[in-house]
Amino acid sequence: MTKRAKHIKTVEDLHQYLKDAMKIEHATLPPYLTALYSLKPGSNLEAFHMIRAIAVEEMLHLTLVVNVFNAVGGNIEGVLTDSEFVPHYPTYLPTGATDFQVNVEKFSREALETFCNIERSEDMKEESSSDNVSEEEPSQPKEFLLPIFGSCADGRKNQPEQKFFSIGQFYQEVIDGFMDLYEQEGQNLFSSDSSKQISREYYYNGAGEIVKVTNLDSALKALYIIQNQGEGSRKGEIYDSEKKLCHYYRFQQLELGRYYVIDESNPINSDQPDNPTGDSFTVDWDAVYPVLENAKLSDYPQGSQLYTHGQEFQKAYSKFLAQIEKSFDGNPKQLIPAVGEMFRLKELANSLIRNPIPGKKGVNGAPIYR
Amino acid sequence: MDSNTYKLTKEHFLDFSAAVTGFSKFKLQGTGQVSLYFDTIRGVIGDEMFAELLQTFCGDSKNVDKIMASLKLGPIARNIIKLWYIATWEQLPLVWQEKFGATLNDGTFIASPYAYTEGLLWPVIGVNPPAAKAPGYATWSEPPKFYKPKEKKPN
Repeated sequence: MTKRAKHIKTVEDLHQYLKDAMKIEHATLPPYLTALYSLKPGSNLEAFHMIRAIAVEEMLHLTLVVNVFNAVGGNIEGVLTDSEFVPHYPTYLPTGATDFQVNVEKFSREALETFCNIERSEDMKEESSSDNVSEEEPSQPKEFLLPIFGSCADGRKNQPEQKFFSIGQFYQEVIDGFMDLYEQEGQNLFSSDSSKQISREYYYNGAGEIVKVTNLDSALKALYIIQNQGEGSRKGEIYDSEKKLCHYYRFQQLELGRYYVIDESNPINSDQPDNPTGDSFTVDWDAVYPVLENAKLSDYPQGSQLYTHGQEFQKAYSKFLAQIEKSFDGNPKQLIPAVGEMFRLKELANSLIRNPIPGKKGVNGAPIYR
Repeated sequence: MDSNTYKLTKEHFLDFSAAVTGFSKFKLQGTGQVSLYFDTIRGVIGDEMFAELLQTFCGDSKNVDKIMASLKLGPIARNIIKLWYIATWEQLPLVWQEKFGATLNDGTFIASPYAYTEGLLWPVIGVNPPAAKAPGYATWSEPPKFYKPKEKKPN
């Protein structure tokens, strides 16, 4: 039987890819959240709601990946608390070519362009693997690289860098790997213990239904949700399978200052890519706090309130990752108080962004994620 | 500092606010409302009276008692505290208006809808403004988490 997946051959490979997926989903959050909180209160409500909704979907994606990972016997202990789980910014992020990097910075045209790059997909003419898209799309100038964040200890140091054109392609490999492994192992691929699954009693954020993963159907459902919400249907349309505007075009709305129109009852009548026809709105690029780009704790004067609070945020963020890791590791009830802590993190993030850095004229602080 | 050189600026207003609210400048700036409140107060009492208040304060917390006791400046200072705590400017008492001149724009109003959610009241009592700022699902079943300002060292 011909294998669909290019790289995933064993369950261990699958585990590694799923760990990478968690890293990918999480890595978009410091950039999106910092840009979100840099908007001055009451301004740019369109940008505020759009970015917030996307960030919340990434959080759903992270949780869906965890459910898939736990369902196939993955061990999450040490994954979110790994010292390299949060990237060093600026960083090359998934879907990005190595010709741009992702920063933790204020909302701006540049940030928006980066966000579009993160979410950009190669349109697929049909479901397929990653090898022949460049021939189908000769107008694409560069191959997009997705360096896999494997650590040497995972035994991948001898493997060549695995390349994907987009996050969607990465998930396609995961889906292909899943199907191949299921053909080999059948239901044995799945753990019989579903007590680690995060279900809707413990998780709600309005981005979509959390999926309890116990078999191939539910695993694929979870993975398709992630693939779709980010990229869309990958057939040249602006919307995903739920007829919701996918991330790339939502960010593009902000660049163009215009809403896309989706006709949910007759999707064929929806707008075409790059041509929104909905209401216009104005983005006030100046109503933004002048946040220091890629701020580190060492950028803040020792002993200053900013330093103390920056340190407090960084510790609280690490603690938060540890708390959700614990809840993912068989303690789903603990997700609820952990998420409560997350809301308090938001207050601290806001206060950092609204405060100037002593000694640096015209520059404000930022949350310190690592 | 010579009170004549203690000008009407946002920075000085922030210093005064920290002295009378019990919150640090960091926390006050963290609300994102400094500019709004500064402009609101100017709009009601005018630059001259606002400058007089700040000059009396002159960056020294020892002057706060004097301000609070002043028939003219006391009500303004108390209004500033309320503005910070509940984002509401309360119309100055009739007695004050008769003595010191009714101001043009006085009335009772909330500075802005968003300012209300950043009122200092909320961290002091350990809750979020109901329906205006999500606290996180089921966190209402937990005990409130109070903001405790650091103990002020005596000068």
